[in-house]
Amino acid sequence: MNLTKFAAWAAGGLALVAGGVAAVAPGPLRGFDVSGFSKLPVLEGGRLKPMDSVARNSLLLIRSQQSFAYQGRTVGPDEWLLDVLFRPQIADAQPIFVINDPDVLGLIGLKQTADRYFSFQKLAPYIGEIQRQAQAAHPIEAKERSRFQSAVVNLFDRVYLYHRLKNTVQLEGTKGLGAELEDLRGPRAPERQAALAELAHFRPLPPLPGARPDAWRSTGEALRQAAQLGTTDPELVLLGRLGWAYSFQEPTEFNKALADLKAATLAVRPDAERQVAHEELFNRAQPFYVGIVIYALALLVLFLSWLLLPDLLRSVSFGLLCAGALVQTAGLVSRILLQGRPPVTNLYSSAVFVGWAAVFLSIILERIYKRGFGIAVGAAAGFASLLVAHNLAGDGDTMEMMRAVLDSNFWLATHVVAITIGYSGTFLAGAIAIAYTLRKHVAPRIDPGGTKTLVSMTYGIVAFSVLFSFVGTVLGGIWADQSWGRFWGWDPKENGALLIVLWNAIILHARFGGFVREKGLMAMAIFGNVITSLSWFGVNMLGVGLHSYGFMDKAFWALSAFIGTQFALLALCLLPRQFWKPREAREVDATEPAKA
Amino acid sequence: MSNPTKYPLFNALASMQLTIVLLALLMVLVFLCTLAQVDLGTFGAVAVYMRSWLVFWHVPGTALSVPILPGGVLVGLVLTVNLVAQYVRIPLNWPNVGLWLVHLGLILFVVGEFVSGAFQVDSQMAIEEGQTVNFLEGKDAELAVTDVTDPQLDEVYGIRESRLSRGGTVELPGSPVSIRILEFYRNADLRNRQPGDPPSLATRGVGTAVSVTPLPPVSRDDDVNRSVAFVEPVASGRSYGVWLLSNVLGAPQSFIHEGRTYVLQMRSRRQYLPYSITLKKFSHDVYAGTDIPKNFSSLVRLYNPSRGEDRDVLIFMNQPLRYDGKAFYQASFGKNDTLSVLQVVENPGWRLPYLSCALVTLGLLYHFGLRLRRSMKRPQAAEATGDPPAAQEA
Repeated sequence: MNLTKFAAWAAGGLALVAGGVAAVAPGPLRGFDVSGFSKLPVLEGGRLKPMDSVARNSLLLIRSQQSFAYQGRTVGPDEWLLDVLFRPQIADAQPIFVINDPDVLGLIGLKQTADRYFSFQKLAPYIGEIQRQAQAAHPIEAKERSRFQSAVVNLFDRVYLYHRLKNTVQLEGTKGLGAELEDLRGPRAPERQAALAELAHFRPLPPLPGARPDAWRSTGEALRQAAQLGTTDPELVLLGRLGWAYSFQEPTEFNKALADLKAATLAVRPDAERQVAHEELFNRAQPFYVGIVIYALALLVLFLSWLLLPDLLRSVSFGLLCAGALVQTAGLVSRILLQGRPPVTNLYSSAVFVGWAAVFLSIILERIYKRGFGIAVGAAAGFASLLVAHNLAGDGDTMEMMRAVLDSNFWLATHVVAITIGYSGTFLAGAIAIAYTLRKHVAPRIDPGGTKTLVSMTYGIVAFSVLFSFVGTVLGGIWADQSWGRFWGWDPKENGALLIVLWNAIILHARFGGFVREKGLMAMAIFGNVITSLSWFGVNMLGVGLHSYGFMDKAFWALSAFIGTQFALLALCLLPRQFWKPREAREVDATEPAKA
Repeated sequence: MSNPTKYPLFNALASMQLTIVLLALLMVLVFLCTLAQVDLGTFGAVAVYMRSWLVFWHVPGTALSVPILPGGVLVGLVLTVNLVAQYVRIPLNWPNVGLWLVHLGLILFVVGEFVSGAFQVDSQMAIEEGQTVNFLEGKDAELAVTDVTDPQLDEVYGIRESRLSRGGTVELPGSPVSIRILEFYRNADLRNRQPGDPPSLATRGVGTAVSVTPLPPVSRDDDVNRSVAFVEPVASGRSYGVWLLSNVLGAPQSFIHEGRTYVLQMRSRRQYLPYSITLKKFSHDVYAGTDIPKNFSSLVRLYNPSRGEDRDVLIFMNQPLRYDGKAFYQASFGKNDTLSVLQVVENPGWRLPYLSCALVTLGLLYHFGLRLRRSMKRPQAAEATGDPPAAQEA
């Protein structure tokens, strides 16, 4: 093995090892087996998941981060949730509510400062006002709310989620679940049990023997059943002991109650263990986050290779790209296994998959052309798409259950995957075109061969995209015919897909007919980015039609900014030759009309 | 690059420039149609941009309408001609088989869209649990005159919206009654007559106490037109007064002529079927602890005496009932999960897109596969000699 090859393998291997180290489970915290707690199975959002997912998604919703710094150390999601459930007085003091809107800050008597995070304690005096404002804004349709109205509704939703979490296992201000069990038939008990059942955010107790497998119970329900049937519910007692041990900070008791509770739960649902452990590992390993880092590294090393040690560093960068692709694949496969669904089920997963497909296409391109262009666009596409996915994950659980209308693995696997690969291809062609444009303006050397490679790469990828976007679009029509009785309904998402097909078809015909040359082809490919981003995200913002499951308003500005940059690049690409690097300008266009 | 014939018009219609212009126009139409859906609803936007010959722009402040774009029908037609003309341009040989298949598939696709546009009939069937229904309801309104004298059998005469708009007098075949149409509004606002309002046209029934303001028809998917008609039933030379009928007026109104009772009603247009459907059970499941719908399904009994059919059918999401050239889909529900609404579609061209998709996919795979193999075979050769002329490859 020569040095460059070795460097590629070593760099890739090292990146994988580093990613693996990040996934190692943390040790006990002050003697508490927090990691064991994170693997407790609970039912939330209609599916079984580890406590860890509840903790992470809640904290992500409330604070937009999965952990936070407090009193000089990092508090992880599971530790935070333990405090919320069993020591609310501690959790109430932690700064977990992020507030960015100046008007909402004004509502609670604060000025906008660098510190955007507030504790529940700080908000508590204003809860009534926040609720009043949110209720006033609630009847207005989401897309017609003002910025303040959206922000205040959002804050209220987060405060309410926090409130529900605090009242899931035991009612706030009571002596805890243990006391509740002692007083099962007390005069006020039914009231408290009803409140617990009503507020519960998740269901921690497994179904009673003989009940439906998804009939997990909230603490309130279980208390009510225990009161009615006069039985003792062993899981409920153990949960009470767990809470007691944590609130009095008794690690030994806590760990014992935890082990017993887990054993009792798994005795009822033995199948839950592997599923839940897998998801907890997936959460901890954060493969897509690790992927972002590796792709960024690959990109940096590639840039460096243009300055020194070109062959060696390009090889290292290729190794890193492959490592990133492996990590992303592992994450994607994990999601498929966890959900029991094809890879794309919502906007978040479409971003992950678009990036994944683009990276793989780029690796293939790099293997064919070996010029580093594949690495550049692949690492950039992987990085950008995972970043987009990361920002789309703020809405909570990214593995939510599929609505009845979308509940068809066959169509999800064919139509949705084909469409998404079409997006991928169109973006990749656009990325290559951007690389071409930047290169024309900044590259110090003339390299007609390189230009030609870029042109034929773009052309091939556009052809690939036509195939997948057409097939995907028509399969979507066939799915619609199967489920709603019309093949084509001019639904915004369908129209978006059609626009991509039409645009790619125009590119191919313009090229066949010789109406555009190298520069025109590239400019058209960049415009493909605009069309695809509109069709992918833009149509969801209209809030019309059957596909509006991915409704989003926050991303509007991000999308506008992206489209703005694409038009700037388009203009840059179309600038006449005198603006290019001087030596390049004298060169004759390397590819005359119509490359075959 | 093409094989020009000596007919300049044909050359223009067959040209690739025209293809590109048409595809670009189609993109503009699709884009505008998508944006317009926010205001007009899907149905309205499609009518303006897609199912039209020309797209008009109303000059603000005037009554002027200026055509600014060709509509979907026009673009589609010219595109079809352009597509068909490719068969003259592209010689049929093995390397071009892929292109032939692709363009054949596309022609079928456009034809399919035209067939749907011309022949597709959308209607609904709303059934409550335990109820038996033997008719479909359309989006349009109709005036129904029902002879309810015989408790066993209703005699129904329906007058369509398009007929109502024309006015005049409609004879009900086989009955002495004819209906004179005085006014018809596809959409209107109805309210209780206030002291200052002009007198109502109606002289009989509840209409005398209602005042009517005509409104432009709505097309948004979730809006319903409140149609209003003022009609005068005449039988054997005798007038039974002027009645106001509307689909938003609850109670049916009736008059008696020679011992026969006739009920006047404005309602969604009905199409009666030679078979009936009974809703046995509607189910609406959610995922545990959430309100995310997991499944909607209607268990129905299909009863068709003429074909001796009497069987249970379960209709659920992604699983319609296809029967009698129609497809019955689970579309909606209501009344606390005891009412199921089935979308009923009759489209003789529903198979064309399937065929089209298969042809285009095969064609593209063949064409791009061929080219990929060719460029793999001689990457060096191509780089050394430059590119072959496009005409041979296109």
